[in-house]
Amino acid sequence: MSPGLRAARTALLLLGAASLAAGVSGGLARVGFPLAVPASAAFHGALMTGGFLGTVISLERAIALGSPLALAAPLASGLAALCLLFGISPLAQWLLVAAPLLLAAASVAIARRQPQAHTVLLVVASGAWVVGNALFVHGAPVDACAPWWFAFLVLTIAAERLEMTRLMKRRAVAKPLFYVVAAALLAGAALATFRPAPGAVVFGIALAAMALWLATFDIARRTVRSAGLARYAAVSLLAGYAWLALGGLAWAATPFAASAPRDVAMHALGLGFVFSMIFAHAPIIVPVVVRVIVRFTRAFYVPLVLLHASLVLRLGPGLLDADARRWGALLNAAAIALFVATLLASMARRETPAPSPAEDAPRYG
Amino acid sequence: MSERESFPYTGLAELRDPVTAALHRVVDPEMSLDIVELGLVYGVEAQARAVKVRITMTSAACPVTELIVDEATSELARALGPGVEVGVEVVWEPPWDPGRMSGRARDALGWE
Repeated sequence: MSPGLRAARTALLLLGAASLAAGVSGGLARVGFPLAVPASAAFHGALMTGGFLGTVISLERAIALGSPLALAAPLASGLAALCLLFGISPLAQWLLVAAPLLLAAASVAIARRQPQAHTVLLVVASGAWVVGNALFVHGAPVDACAPWWFAFLVLTIAAERLEMTRLMKRRAVAKPLFYVVAAALLAGAALATFRPAPGAVVFGIALAAMALWLATFDIARRTVRSAGLARYAAVSLLAGYAWLALGGLAWAATPFAASAPRDVAMHALGLGFVFSMIFAHAPIIVPVVVRVIVRFTRAFYVPLVLLHASLVLRLGPGLLDADARRWGALLNAAAIALFVATLLASMARRETPAPSPAEDAPRYG
Repeated sequence: MSERESFPYTGLAELRDPVTAALHRVVDPEMSLDIVELGLVYGVEAQARAVKVRITMTSAACPVTELIVDEATSELARALGPGVEVGVEVVWEPPWDPGRMSGRARDALGWE
């Protein structure tokens, strides 16, 4: 690979990381920390789901497709987030619509290469991001965009997991059940756009059903019995499914209570579920993106445990006590920072001779 | 067909063992199973100065493809030495299916 392409990918990953930093600082400002980041606080959701996750998902898709042209999607997404820090300008709006459309185009190209359920679902997922951003640009409240943004994230992750389940012997009912749940998720998001209360109930129950499906059929149930990185990834995934279930139930409860279920829903999903997936896969994917070797060590469990423990603090005692909520949020941010530090500390240049995988690869048994 | 010969092989017989061993060292990071066991190796054509390998992936949407191709290339280059040109090509036809996995892989994943 040319040094230019490697530099471009690294720059795009850093652009996503900049959104993450802005989004996290905005989140901390929201729970009461004295940070003067009004735009990051105002656009916390858009920065985290689109600016960070949309950018890294688009980058991952572009690399899978193997076309430098597809890097336009993460570029648009990352730049859209940067623009948002200066308010909603016409340029920001244009980029917010362009990014998911470019991701959809890359996803269509992949689905044409391999027409299978999971690749088609990735197209559908990017379509949900298109809708979410179109609503956002149109001035819809964040609560109308959020189901679409989460549909994008959850369906993207579910598609990747669906693909992995093909390796396992699964019951005949698994696939049709998956389609029913995915359809309910989209139906819930669509309904929520026009009828927020019943939409939230359908969407939330579909999220919880997806968690149940994943916890039942995911290959992580087997790889958790292996060792090393494979086991660590499986532990992260399974913990994430528990948060997905809780987030779904909380989402379904949002029409019936004040702000508490909303905070639980957003952060059980956004942090508990989605960041578990990031923690699971970044040690596998980041080395591909920036062309380094990441040596897995048990140190990766430390940020993982901190993420889940801090989320319990935030979404448990934090519901009743503002200090616990603030501490939980701060430790959430610390878990992410510690994860990034662990990842950086585990990197070695790809050119350095690595021990043969036969010697250090985790194996079953 | 034994597990170590579970892909079509043409060309020099003496390269079969080093090529097969090299491909067994390429491991899917999340599965902790190698590409031969997963049935991802579609064919090897081994000549004295050039070895060509065709592999597939379970998913076209997975960026790890690049890593697997790199690792296969470097493992083969290491096994065969500097005089042999190594080419690893990713193909999507015929589509991969679970029936291609080795007995050990199927056992690890609950098929047997």
